[in-house]
Amino acid sequence: MMMKAEAVIKRNNVKVIGDGEQVMLFAHGFGCDQRAWKFIVDAFTEDYKVVLFDYTGSGQSDVSQYSADKYKSLDGYVQDVLDLCEALELTNTIFVGHSVSSMVGLLAAVQHPEFFSRLVFIGPSPRYLNTTDYTGGFERQDLENLFEFMDSNYLGWSSAMAPAIMANPERPELGEFLTDSFCSTDPDIARAFARVTFFSDNRDDLSKLKVKSLTLQCSEDVIAPLAVGQYFHEHTPGNEFVLLNATGHCPHISEPVETINAIKTYLHTEENGK
Amino acid sequence: MENDLLAQLIDAEQLYQNAPCGYFSLSADGKIIKINLTLLNWLGYEEKELLGQKFASLLTKGGQMHFEMFFWPVASISKAVKEFSYEILRKDGSLIAVLLNASALLDEHSKLQAINAVLTNTTERKNYEKEILHSKRVAESEKKRLQFMADLVPEIIWTTTAKGNIDYVNARFCQYFNCNGEDTRSSFVLSKVHKDDLRELLKVWYRSIETGEHLQKEIRLLNREGIYEWHLLKSALFLDEEGNMTNWFGSCANINDHINALKKKDEFISIASHELKTPITSLKAVLQLLDRLKNDPSNKMVPGLIEKANRNVDKVNALVEDLLNASQMNQGQLHLNKSIFNLAGLISDCVHHIRIDQRYEIIIGGDDTLQVFADEGRIEQVIANFITNAIKYAPDSKQIFINLKNAGANVLVEVVDKGPGIAEEKIPHLFDRYYQVENKGSKYSGLGLGLFICAEIVKRHGGEIGARSTLGEGSVFWFSLPTS
Repeated sequence: MMMKAEAVIKRNNVKVIGDGEQVMLFAHGFGCDQRAWKFIVDAFTEDYKVVLFDYTGSGQSDVSQYSADKYKSLDGYVQDVLDLCEALELTNTIFVGHSVSSMVGLLAAVQHPEFFSRLVFIGPSPRYLNTTDYTGGFERQDLENLFEFMDSNYLGWSSAMAPAIMANPERPELGEFLTDSFCSTDPDIARAFARVTFFSDNRDDLSKLKVKSLTLQCSEDVIAPLAVGQYFHEHTPGNEFVLLNATGHCPHISEPVETINAIKTYLHTEENGK
Repeated sequence: MENDLLAQLIDAEQLYQNAPCGYFSLSADGKIIKINLTLLNWLGYEEKELLGQKFASLLTKGGQMHFEMFFWPVASISKAVKEFSYEILRKDGSLIAVLLNASALLDEHSKLQAINAVLTNTTERKNYEKEILHSKRVAESEKKRLQFMADLVPEIIWTTTAKGNIDYVNARFCQYFNCNGEDTRSSFVLSKVHKDDLRELLKVWYRSIETGEHLQKEIRLLNREGIYEWHLLKSALFLDEEGNMTNWFGSCANINDHINALKKKDEFISIASHELKTPITSLKAVLQLLDRLKNDPSNKMVPGLIEKANRNVDKVNALVEDLLNASQMNQGQLHLNKSIFNLAGLISDCVHHIRIDQRYEIIIGGDDTLQVFADEGRIEQVIANFITNAIKYAPDSKQIFINLKNAGANVLVEVVDKGPGIAEEKIPHLFDRYYQVENKGSKYSGLGLGLFICAEIVKRHGGEIGARSTLGEGSVFWFSLPTS
């Protein structure tokens, strides 16, 4: 069933800016919200219509629309993107996804290639866990360690000391406390999203992509190491690969200029190549 | 204070190096560019070993992921990081827990230049925190365990506040009253109490709330089918360690079957007394007459009176026999003396006594070679009971059929009458103790123990017993015995 535009706009805190015809849809990664794009968005608003949103349960989205069952796999997040494309009648869209959103965008484009013209993946990984024939970069215990850090940061000292340890397991006061800070999410949703992100395995989906795409790979990215980016590139048909000088996992934050240039170069080359 | 004195007391560089917290600064690409002595001491490194190193390399792998995914975006976008909790690797490989606060330095284009950070050592606090989180998990799982138990027991369980407002109910409560556990206002619960019990209940309940005394009361509660069932309500006040009244804990045990059984037993005692009284009264009358005739033993009335006395004694004897049998069954004292015998033979012996009454025709059919290994006397008792029942309850049925069948591993005996039949809803209760198909006005009242005794005998043999009937056509009473 198709959702009404207003409903999707409200649920996913959708923002549309820019003067262009062609749509660029930016999808934030795990742990962030649309504010993560603030350093690069301005570079595109002149030529494109930029659409920003928060996944249900993240940022300023309508948390009441979150359901643990729907978002227990990436499909729930894929549906967020598809709902948005349908409701806003987006076609010929350039999708830019960071981190886990790369896989979300890829899965959305596999289901509905007609919505998309190009996909840009920033730090993609089809699988984070190492396995016998694949190096994702992480052992299960590394991920458990991450979840522990997430828990201790959400339920840190001050909140663990909160008087209502037993009586009020929902801890509404904690939600209020977190809403102001960036990367704020309901801790239970964040935990669930982290598990969905880091325990997913979408290696078999890469070859199904029919839309042309670009991979932006950072140097020294602990989350999506070079070998993973190369694996992604090799198994995804029609994928271009650019290795950035930027280090870390968020080049759009740490090196916005280099990131902008890489995306623009790709889009222009593709346009000229048509 | 004078500035000179202040400068003497507080040396900025001294304060930086030996502050009670760790200081460090990072370049925009995350490398350590400055670090104070306190932090170096905590970590066990020399300054030169860490300058130029990535701060993230001092974190565990999970910490590095968190640092990349949370610290950098937050620092870059919010320009400040508040109380991020991390564990840092010391040079010797051990870990210290820290809280990290940081502020970002930006250039005029809002581009990140550097990050200044403060670390507070929270290793000890962290251990407490772990204990607290552990206790919380233990408490929560304990709560779940108790909830599971409370939902498993067959009793209705609830708690109320000290003032008597219900604040918890178990699954059985919701099931019995057909509610979702939310409608637990006192008025809802009181509406389920039988009106004849309500006043007394409120009286003892208010008294208990006032005095804190335990409460115990038998009341009738309306179930989801709209039927009142007897319950034993118990409630006790829970005092916390300081002796404060916190909650009332209560349960309602369903004692409906028990109460009904007691009622049945009372009814039975009354029937039994009545049944015994009738022959005894007439026996007494006979004895009085004989007493008057004691000087005239040749009086022609005497043999008739003795005969009458004997009949009444037989009746009393039969009734007492039934009572003894029934109580033996209850106490599991029925001993079987099994032997192999021919069923058809037993049945024809048994029927022989009854055939004396010429009004009934008893027709035996089926396999007359069937042998069973059973207590002959007890099986005879069952067959006799079936036949007397047929005569008793189907007096107009002139023919009674007895069929013997070989049904695989069992031998089946059926007693068929062409009487008025038995209503379907009564059939399941026929073999209950104290149950009697209503037969007001009939001269055959009896104790209603016969079929119960039959059922016990057959069950003790490992067989089955039953009845089927069609109103207006007749009834079939049957039992089966294993052949081996």
